[in-house]
Amino acid sequence: MEFLESVRLSWRAIRSHKLRSVLTTLGIIIGVGAVITFVTLGASLQADILGQVGAERTPNVYVWSGPEGQNAGPGAGAQPVFTERDLTELRNVAGVSAVVPRGIVPTAAVSSGGDTVAQRQVIATSPASFDSATFVSGRAFEQGEREVVLNEQAARLFESQATVGDEVTLRLASGESADAEVVGLLNSSSGGGPFEGFDSQPLVFVPTDPFYDTTIESPATGETQRVYPTVTVVANDFGAVAEVQESVRAYLADESDAASLAPGDYEFSVRTDQDLVDQLEELLDTLTNFVTGIAVISLVVGSIGIANIMLVSVTERTREIGIMKAVGAQNRDVLQLFLLEAVMLGVLGAVAGTPVGVLGAYAAAEYIGLSLVFPLEWFAIAVGVGVLVGVLAGLYPAWNAARTDPIDALRYE
Amino acid sequence: MAASHSDAGPETTTDSEDAVSLRDVRKTYYLGEPVHALDGVSLSIHRGSYTAVMGPSGSGKSTLLNLIGCLDTASEGQVFVNGKEVSALSERDRTRVRGDEIGFVFQTFNLMPKLTAAENVALPLVFQGVSRSKRKSHAESVLDEVGLGDRTGHRPNELSGGQRQRVAIARALVTDPAIILADEPTGNLDSETGRQIMGLFQRLHDEGNTILMVTHERHIAEHAERVIHVLDGTIERIEEIESPRRVEIEAF
Repeated sequence: MEFLESVRLSWRAIRSHKLRSVLTTLGIIIGVGAVITFVTLGASLQADILGQVGAERTPNVYVWSGPEGQNAGPGAGAQPVFTERDLTELRNVAGVSAVVPRGIVPTAAVSSGGDTVAQRQVIATSPASFDSATFVSGRAFEQGEREVVLNEQAARLFESQATVGDEVTLRLASGESADAEVVGLLNSSSGGGPFEGFDSQPLVFVPTDPFYDTTIESPATGETQRVYPTVTVVANDFGAVAEVQESVRAYLADESDAASLAPGDYEFSVRTDQDLVDQLEELLDTLTNFVTGIAVISLVVGSIGIANIMLVSVTERTREIGIMKAVGAQNRDVLQLFLLEAVMLGVLGAVAGTPVGVLGAYAAAEYIGLSLVFPLEWFAIAVGVGVLVGVLAGLYPAWNAARTDPIDALRYE
Repeated sequence: MAASHSDAGPETTTDSEDAVSLRDVRKTYYLGEPVHALDGVSLSIHRGSYTAVMGPSGSGKSTLLNLIGCLDTASEGQVFVNGKEVSALSERDRTRVRGDEIGFVFQTFNLMPKLTAAENVALPLVFQGVSRSKRKSHAESVLDEVGLGDRTGHRPNELSGGQRQRVAIARALVTDPAIILADEPTGNLDSETGRQIMGLFQRLHDEGNTILMVTHERHIAEHAERVIHVLDGTIERIEEIESPRRVEIEAF
């Protein structure tokens, strides 16, 4: 029997039960629609977040020490373990262009021009942590000077918009006060890097000398030195990143002060930008897969609907099957007819479900404020799924139809 | 499809004069204990003959029809249709013989309700792989032959009982089969319509078609040249009708 003739006959069978076919297809439309909505949303969310994170990829390696096995964000649970001596040693590692320490100076508030705003901490770091391109005005602070750098969000905290040249007073948590001069303003989009989180919050940067005074006796040299919870190691170029990452790991594991200072169940995290992006991606993938998994359940329910209606249809048309067999239809012909009917329902559902899913994703993205990214391959997959669902759901009913005994079928009322 | 007609092989051929022949055919059903629906039946149906099969219900006449119609296989013995031993064929080849060599006419017409008259008639050709345009023209010419040339686009529910049975007869004729098997073809028709259908069979016989008709009505059976009386799975007697009943044929 010609394939085209099967298509014609199956299509006629579908059309002769319009309401039933529409309802059956609706199950698949909802299933495919739900899957496409969530997959599209997941891809859009991923693109959105990774776009924020990965926009400026740097050859940086972020180093901190945290509780073993934790999988939280960069710097989570970090304890001050990296001494000045460690920093010096790390600077000597091949391929390293800079080592930037980062510590927290606990504060109560920051005042400028008679206006005092609460600020729980300022970030102590070295001038190398700034990229000159991110300055709106002014320059980086210098070590040993009483100077601060603010980002625009921090500058805006003050009624009179802090600008370069202003005096600020840091109210330290210890109760003391320290005066400093604003020497630079960072643009609002430059965050503090992964340790500060990627959202734009007010940030105040100070040089480690003289503001950072968390110190400890270096186990290696016996001198009392500043000690930092997190360190950024900047490689010469992207090509050197992997090597630097390895060398840093090796140094930390072995001879570092950090190794002896870190609590026993702590481990070092030495992550590149790419590692952080990968980790984030993995997290988002898990989330997307989970939600898509739920959507797939509705697709399964839809295909059970097809299987069910096909079984009914086969029973209803027992006599027709008998007639076809009596006039020479092979089992294969009957199988083909019913299987095709199921596949057509599946494909119809998938094809109609795709725009429904896109529409759903569009509405959700509008609501959340995401820009949509369409994973185009999923549209092909949706149609493929329609065929697959049709075949799976139709196989048993069609097989049932094919093996119908024509004698019984012709007698069937 | 036509090439496969040689599948059965020449060694299984029988008398070439016979459209159908049965040799010591038995059909046993096992329903707790064995039931012999047919118990050693031998029979020859010549080409161009018109035969009626009579017998009470349960006598085995339906089983006989199913065996000749390749819907069922014999437990023992041989069944030849147009020279091919169908009992030896695979299910697939048997289905092919059924489609090519047998034309069924049923008491309840058994038309596809969603297909038009022409599509119903063309249905056997669909499974033979005949092209759409050829099917259409062929089906229309056969419908014309049975007097329904103006009803080709009608569905069964738009036709009267007699018209439906004529569509069914056209469907049986469309493949130019070796034999037409009619199972109580007038059973669901009023007597006048039944008479017209018998007239149609008579004309088909006159044109050289081989017809085997199962009936339990004596006056219907008398249209045939020969009546086979079946009882308890065996042939009780074969009666030759000296002057078969004739219907005065009016123009359709």
